[in-house]
Amino acid sequence: MKKIIVVGGGPAGMQAALSLVAEGLKPVIVERSGALGGKLRDWHNLFPSMTPAHEVLEGMTKQMENAGVEVMLHTEVEGLTDGGVLLMEGKKLEGEAVIVASGFDIFDARLKEEYGYHIYDNVFTTVDVERMLNKGEVALHDGSAPHGIAFVHCVGSRDEKVNQKHCSKVCCITGVKQAMEMRQLFPDAEIYNFYMDIRMFGPGYEELYQSAQQDFGVNFIRGRVSEASPTIDGRLQIKAEDTLVGRPLKMTVDMLVLIVGMKASSSNEKYALPLSSSGFLTPRDLFSGAVSSDLPNVFYAGTATAPKTIGESICEGSMAAEKVSEYLKSRK
Amino acid sequence: MVQTFYSGFVIPFIVGTSVLFAVIIYKYVRWMVRLPRRDKLKVWHGLFSVATLKGIWECFTECLLHRRIWRVNPLLGYMHTAFALGWFLLIVVGWVETIAYLGLRFVPLQGHIFFDYFTQDMDHGPRWGINFEVVMDVLLLYVLSGLVLAVFKRFRSRAMGMKRTTKLTLGDRVAMTSLWFVFPMRLLAESFPSQLPLWWGYSIALGVFFVAMPFSRYMHIFTEVPLIFLRRWGITSEAGREKSFDHFQLEACSRCGICIDPCQLQRDAGMRNVQSAYFIRDRRYNRLTRYVADNCLLCGRCQVKCPVGLELDTLRLGSRHSLSGTPSNGRFNYACDVDRSRGEGRVGYFAGCMTLLSPKILRSMERIFTAAGEQVWWADRDGGVCCGRPLKLSGDIEAARDMMRINAELFRNHGITTLVTSCPICLRVFREDYNLDGIEVLHHSEYFVRLLSDGRLTLKPGGTEKMTYHDPCELGRGCGIYDAPREVLQTVGTLVEPAETRDEALCCGSSLANMAVENSSQVAIAQAVGRAFEATGAGEIVTACPLCKKAIARGTSLPVMDLAEVIEQHLA
Repeated sequence: MKKIIVVGGGPAGMQAALSLVAEGLKPVIVERSGALGGKLRDWHNLFPSMTPAHEVLEGMTKQMENAGVEVMLHTEVEGLTDGGVLLMEGKKLEGEAVIVASGFDIFDARLKEEYGYHIYDNVFTTVDVERMLNKGEVALHDGSAPHGIAFVHCVGSRDEKVNQKHCSKVCCITGVKQAMEMRQLFPDAEIYNFYMDIRMFGPGYEELYQSAQQDFGVNFIRGRVSEASPTIDGRLQIKAEDTLVGRPLKMTVDMLVLIVGMKASSSNEKYALPLSSSGFLTPRDLFSGAVSSDLPNVFYAGTATAPKTIGESICEGSMAAEKVSEYLKSRK
Repeated sequence: MVQTFYSGFVIPFIVGTSVLFAVIIYKYVRWMVRLPRRDKLKVWHGLFSVATLKGIWECFTECLLHRRIWRVNPLLGYMHTAFALGWFLLIVVGWVETIAYLGLRFVPLQGHIFFDYFTQDMDHGPRWGINFEVVMDVLLLYVLSGLVLAVFKRFRSRAMGMKRTTKLTLGDRVAMTSLWFVFPMRLLAESFPSQLPLWWGYSIALGVFFVAMPFSRYMHIFTEVPLIFLRRWGITSEAGREKSFDHFQLEACSRCGICIDPCQLQRDAGMRNVQSAYFIRDRRYNRLTRYVADNCLLCGRCQVKCPVGLELDTLRLGSRHSLSGTPSNGRFNYACDVDRSRGEGRVGYFAGCMTLLSPKILRSMERIFTAAGEQVWWADRDGGVCCGRPLKLSGDIEAARDMMRINAELFRNHGITTLVTSCPICLRVFREDYNLDGIEVLHHSEYFVRLLSDGRLTLKPGGTEKMTYHDPCELGRGCGIYDAPREVLQTVGTLVEPAETRDEALCCGSSLANMAVENSSQVAIAQAVGRAFEATGAGEIVTACPLCKKAIARGTSLPVMDLAEVIEQHLA
């Protein structure tokens, strides 16, 4: 029996492999890094239920072990070939079908130089905050506790100036979630969220947003932060406009958290398949063909095609596996 | 026939010539009368000066020889010279020929033009040892060789160094077609002087051309001459308003289309109707739209190439001013008395908004000032008033002047003698529009050169890493600063140049002058610029403008840095 190649071992890729096994097929996961799990490994608690990320990850990896899925770690896919994929150093991997579940890149916040990421000590990204939460060491650069924290939404999302026209979908709720986690850690801190729109599309999201305001005392200010600059005493001054009041405002905080968006994976170009203007792979259509590509034997799952939540990515993994099975049957 | 110099066929020529001169005289007199008093005084002062002599020489080199077009492409140059010099010599030698055969006597205009018809009974042997027939035939063949190239160019412009040529108006087509007939008809008529229909054809071609000429692009043939003299006498167009002098510039444009190829909006963004030739055309015929006026980066690449030396950017700014309907009264009153400066020193530093949005540059400047032991007065670190250039570029010159006045007062109040800025946009407006007597304005690249030569700054030599340099439009073509940044970079690394550099350097695509170019087009331009730099094999792109830095970073995966950041990395 020929193999089904799954590119990427994140949530979508792992679920695709599990579903393929359930269909009686033989998947092989090709993973660039040294471990399965993708970015899920870096996250702390998952919105909206605050489920620890490691629980979800361990649940899936245990199933993977039980199913005996073949995994190739430290292996990078360089492109598609006839009947398989091209690996590093010209090697080929043969397979009857390919599921591209190669995920997304994190937007490089240094490109928004005006926010001072990697310039000022106390500017972090949401990814940094997840890491700090995992380590249990959320603090300023000098180890002290912040008294004022500001979150900036849409950093690298809906921003044409950095070639990121799309909405990254999960950042609004991430900002709400992290603001609540900060409140639990720093009960006396002033916490602000600067947003242009709050998009609470998922189940329980709106409730979380309400709770953040009512129960957790998080302030939401509608307006984009234009720039951050250091004050003489080493804090950060941010400039913004409160567009609901119609006034420019300046605020001094200790910690600035940039809610970074999803950038299309730079590896998407390798497949020579159609890309959207933002660089994500374009599925055949957005309805019943959402996991199908323009090629009959290539399928998509997860954030390779657009920003998605972890739950949605896992769903697509299953769906892609089902489509592979349909495709194989149709050939017989 | 020699006695009357009249035959029916001369009527089209006479009518055409009369219309031509009537229209031209009407236009020139009107434009001159409407010149502001200040410009008229400049004419009187300049008339009897060396500027006039220089103008005569320029008329010879540009109107007849077309030296600047030769530089674009030799074939294109040959074509223009053949038409201009060839036709000019045909007229001059024709007059001499008339004197040689008929002696010094009054000969009406048609007598000169149709000389071979009126003297067909005379002996056309050599006079004064010169075989005029041969000379005139050679000159005519010379013009015809230009004509062959002109026809060829219409179909294969690429072979003559132009990927694209201008789209023609109806008047242009009538004039061009009749012009193409003039010289072949002349050749035929002079070869068979007894054939009246040929003379009719020649005369009609001339007549139609002359009537169409003042309304077509061929108006440039005459208008370039007064333009050259007026320019030599110091008259210029103004960014803040449309002037009577502008007409001379508008009608001196031959719509040759040399401005089209360098335009990145055409090359990389697929916009085909906004280039200077079309802007000038639309303004000349009173059909200018905001779309055309606003869709321009004012990068100046076309202005460098313009064979007539028109002030293309200034003319467009004048139009933007006329088209902009924003009242500026009191909009910026809140900016008065804003002084958030800090520090003290004879040297002032003006970051400008774009440097404030690029804090790495600001941090580097601070470290460099410290390393050089400079006491600095920080003009706008904690916020300040805009330099005014963006408002000027948008056509709102009145509001821009408010900004300029506020900033100039701020600089004077703090008694600085040197003003350093890391932003070429601010630099240009400081130099061109501010009146900062007693304060020397320096771009940070020039300031670094000075620190290095004074021994106040020592830099660690860099490794073998190759870098490439991007000339910002406002710094290079705008302020003529090309060498200072390169001089500094060469002390710390190896510099490699892109294919188009210095005064031909590409625009980053995100110019502040942009009023309408869409983001996707800006990105397309940035990506083309990125590819040009990647082709040099350099490991990093250095520029000297915070806006260019941001813009180019959108189009390449190579690191893009400001000159100040590079210097800071190499501080000893």
